[in-house]
Amino acid sequence: MEIIKAEDLNFTYALGKTPALKNVSFSVSRGDLVAVCGATGSGKSTLLRLLKKEIAPVGDQRGRIFFGYIKDGKEGGFGFKNVEDMSTRESAEKIGFVMQDPEHQIVTDKVWHELAFGLENLGVKNDAIRRRVSEMASYFGIESWFEKNVNELSGGQKQLLNLAAVMVMQPEVLLLDEPTAQLDPIAAADFIATVAKLNRETALTVIITEHRLENVIPVATKLMALEDGRLTAYGEVRKTVAALAKDPKMLVGMPAAVRLFSRLSAKGECPLDVCEGRRFIEDNCVNEIRSLPVKTENRNHETALCFKNVGFRYDNRGADVIRNMSFEVREGEIFCLLGGNGSGKSTTLGLASGVLKENSGKIEIFGKKIKDHKGGALYRECVAMLPQDVRTLFIYDTVKEELKEVEFSPEMLPFDLSPLEDRHPYDLSGGEQQLLGLAKVLSAKPKLLLMDEPTKGLDAYAKKEIAGVLRELKKRGLTILFVTHDVEFAAAVADRCALVFRGEVTSEGETHEFFAANNFYTTAVNRMTRGFYDGLLRVREVEEIIRLNGGHKE
Amino acid sequence: MPAFSDYNPIVVFIYFLTVAGLAMFIMNPVILGISLFGALICFRSRTRGKKDRSSGLFIGLFLLLALLNPLFHHNGATVLFLINDNPITLEALLYGFTSATMVVSVIYWFRSFSLLMTGDRLLYVFGKVSPKFSLMLSMSLRYIPLFATQARKIKASRKALGLWKEDNLWDAVKGGIRGFICLAGWSLENGIITVDSMEARGYGSGKRSFYSRYSFSLWDLGMLILILALTSVVIVSKAMGALDFGFYPRIGGELMTGAAAGAYACYTVLVLLPLGQIIREAGYGREKERKNGNH
Repeated sequence: MEIIKAEDLNFTYALGKTPALKNVSFSVSRGDLVAVCGATGSGKSTLLRLLKKEIAPVGDQRGRIFFGYIKDGKEGGFGFKNVEDMSTRESAEKIGFVMQDPEHQIVTDKVWHELAFGLENLGVKNDAIRRRVSEMASYFGIESWFEKNVNELSGGQKQLLNLAAVMVMQPEVLLLDEPTAQLDPIAAADFIATVAKLNRETALTVIITEHRLENVIPVATKLMALEDGRLTAYGEVRKTVAALAKDPKMLVGMPAAVRLFSRLSAKGECPLDVCEGRRFIEDNCVNEIRSLPVKTENRNHETALCFKNVGFRYDNRGADVIRNMSFEVREGEIFCLLGGNGSGKSTTLGLASGVLKENSGKIEIFGKKIKDHKGGALYRECVAMLPQDVRTLFIYDTVKEELKEVEFSPEMLPFDLSPLEDRHPYDLSGGEQQLLGLAKVLSAKPKLLLMDEPTKGLDAYAKKEIAGVLRELKKRGLTILFVTHDVEFAAAVADRCALVFRGEVTSEGETHEFFAANNFYTTAVNRMTRGFYDGLLRVREVEEIIRLNGGHKE
Repeated sequence: MPAFSDYNPIVVFIYFLTVAGLAMFIMNPVILGISLFGALICFRSRTRGKKDRSSGLFIGLFLLLALLNPLFHHNGATVLFLINDNPITLEALLYGFTSATMVVSVIYWFRSFSLLMTGDRLLYVFGKVSPKFSLMLSMSLRYIPLFATQARKIKASRKALGLWKEDNLWDAVKGGIRGFICLAGWSLENGIITVDSMEARGYGSGKRSFYSRYSFSLWDLGMLILILALTSVVIVSKAMGALDFGFYPRIGGELMTGAAAGAYACYTVLVLLPLGQIIREAGYGREKERKNGNH
């Protein structure tokens, strides 16, 4: 039975000129898991928020949204009511909502209190709260951190807590607005797995917007696509994927197997995940030529940044966060540090930027120790750092003023910010904020650029843009060191990569060698082709090798 | 019998209120001596196995308070000696020791209080009084550390951009103000998310209830009655004047009357109430040791 039904939905923001949603009609059945995809600004979040009255945006809404409910008492059967006519209490109970930012959705200071918060708001009695909270904590496996302060939790745990704190109210529909955008890949996969389990085991209806379709598509029952506020496709996943793959803009965010299938213009059933992609390759391609010729690039061997046996601890009595860390970044290359949460990646950048001081070992920048770059010389035409949260750089009301704070000249950038000049920095999309931050940082004319998680929270399209910008900056002679969780991005951009594990560099090498040597910590394409072809990381490379082998079977 | 820290927070809260309150308002050397003794034992029983680095500080404070009084107050009939023609009297010296005992014992009661009444338990007590205030407190406890972390991040990122210098005072002030503006913008922006998250979970949809993980058992009731009974004996004795003791101009008053002895006994039992748990835990510890020995 249908649980959400939208009819001819049109919506224009109070201050907006063009409608954010145009003639959107669809229905969702009980127990569906609907993945909603579309570029930033396509109206995904607007649509999701309109389904929940308390946080619906202000503006002009036409058309109606219905919520399907099971009638009480003797009548039986199903009924529909307008979402706007639901009481706040009913909406809070029946429709759960989890947003992108794990941190600021949390209201109270303790895990157990956060779980109880929603039930307290509804005035549920103490005994009932106790029962439901403990049930939820057991189901989500959060007993071990039940007593903790929320600021001791990792990002993934915080988002799981946000989900549990909504589920404790026993909603019938769960709306998720890019819930994994701020999480590392492992936490993101865990989160999606939990959502899928809820959907499967309790017939919970889920509508989720996501950038990382790789995780969601295998568990979704339906896929919906929005473009400029219009519903362009909606239906069973495999069919919709095949239809969407024709649009290059949509294709960017699709799983690797889909991108490969589409690039080859193959016919038949489209593979969706690594398993199906592998089967497709093994069944339809030959591997007489197993690897691509290695491109050797002539590179400078001057050292830009050198860590030698560096040790660091935040607290004299605490444990070492960085121990015996040694690596070299050469001039003019893009170097990437990969690693899990708490491995010491960000601390390494703190040390390289001179914000933190090493306890032992030696750090040299362009052959000189950090403390020998005297009187702020380090930050003038030498080193600059783009922080993980770029918003820590913004203090003015417009982009123009932000750029005025630093000695900025537009020709320094391989991208154009002028169309954004009058916007408020906080109103920009994640990708645009990243570019603005980069502009501010680059105005110090650094030779070495440090970046902390440059793709966090970005959609596939924005990632592609950032990748292009980094390659262009490299061409102009900049040395770049960035840390990331994002394996695919590292494979696409970096010249060399290193894995940081418990404060040490445990493996290091040219990007292709590095990922080819890893079994799990590598790109989807590599996992899909491992053993069949050698050392392939990107869809483009598989496409090429299949072509060299005489193409795929029709 | 539950451990003292496992009693309902309201019972523990009232306990500390009465035990420290009695010490503050009864200027009687015996009562204060018992109070200091109990406070120290209670505190040490909570920090067993850990070195108390601050004990030197409190001994110093005690001596300072005790010895300063006779230097500044020259009342009292029994002159011991003169300093710069100012008489140092026995009465002032004794008064100094008594008030120092009071101050140090109350400080130690509060130290134990802060060890036993953790955030959760304090929130529970306030929540009983006002659920709104309790939620506000809980949110503050959440946001203060969050702000501090963000302020550190802002400083680090502006520093690495060369926009935060601390070379001279003016630069430091300017940098600080800009950092503050940045923090304010950030918190307003994220406040919207928090409000959405609260409303999405039904905040403001009706009367809130207050979830607590503490129940009020018969043990709690018994303990509360015991505390109140012992306290009222002491208060009644005080009201009847049995505990009155004068220092100036001459030390006066009977310390050891029958009524006073009853009050002392009650107060002694009161200050030793938290120890029920140590005895139990010591027994448990021995048992554990024996078990470990068998392995």
